[in-house]
Amino acid sequence: MNKLKLWLEQTMMISFAILVGILIEGLVYSFTGDPLCSFSMSWLQLLSIVITGAVCSIPTLFWLTDDLPRNKFILRIIIHCIGLYAVVALLGFVFKWFEHLDGFIFMTVIYFLVYIFVWLVTLWFHKRDDNRINKALDDIRDDE
Amino acid sequence: MQVVIEKVNSKDEEQAVIKAVEITDEISGAVELLEGDSKGFAVSREGKTYIIKASAVYYIESVDKKTFVYTKQGCYDCKYRLYELEVMLGGYFMRCSKSMIINLKKVRNVKSQISGRIDATLLNDEVVVISRGYVKEVKRRLGI
Repeated sequence: MNKLKLWLEQTMMISFAILVGILIEGLVYSFTGDPLCSFSMSWLQLLSIVITGAVCSIPTLFWLTDDLPRNKFILRIIIHCIGLYAVVALLGFVFKWFEHLDGFIFMTVIYFLVYIFVWLVTLWFHKRDDNRINKALDDIRDDE
Repeated sequence: MQVVIEKVNSKDEEQAVIKAVEITDEISGAVELLEGDSKGFAVSREGKTYIIKASAVYYIESVDKKTFVYTKQGCYDCKYRLYELEVMLGGYFMRCSKSMIINLKKVRNVKSQISGRIDATLLNDEVVVISRGYVKEVKRRLGI
């Protein structure tokens, strides 16, 4: 049940981050006066984003949920990041997110921004939990 | 339920009287919390047996099917298994990993690691790990 919840959370977070990435892409095209600024999205594309989010969340459940020392965990993150990039590139090709090299480069940039965003949000959640737990501990701690 | 707190002058005079129609889970929990610190159990060191109060315990660890109790005065052997002590002590004593019970009242602060596990620094400056699988329970015990 916990894994299912984590999977859904990750799917939503990744999908949201991809949508924000696309929004940024649209804004960039808009500010640079590119005719592509009037691009539209089909339901299929939106669905492809959710599917990508769901697929990308699966390795996280089995690869990044073990209690590991910091160094080993960071190594896993690096491998996870590269492996997931390959998956996203493949899905991008299947869903026709890009047709030319510039589109592929843009997707690559968005991928890494999304990856960093997801980790920053996760770390922020950890920090918030730490503060709440420490505050609660202050109320019950023994005097020594 | 109405709660009345009366100030007394010494620790010996401290007592809690609960008047209730029936013993609910909440009342049992409150009793467990109130009794937790005064409960004592047998431990041994260098052939001598001692009774130590639960409030003196920092954490309890199981190594090679032996149970060790850690206090400010040092480490003691204990004949009880972890699961027995977990039930016996209750309150703010809780599992933080498969082989350890921690006294939350002895935790100075916590810090999350990138992997999701939590490093808990105790009042004696020792650092113990709260596995990610037990973090949710820690928060529940602290009312978060």
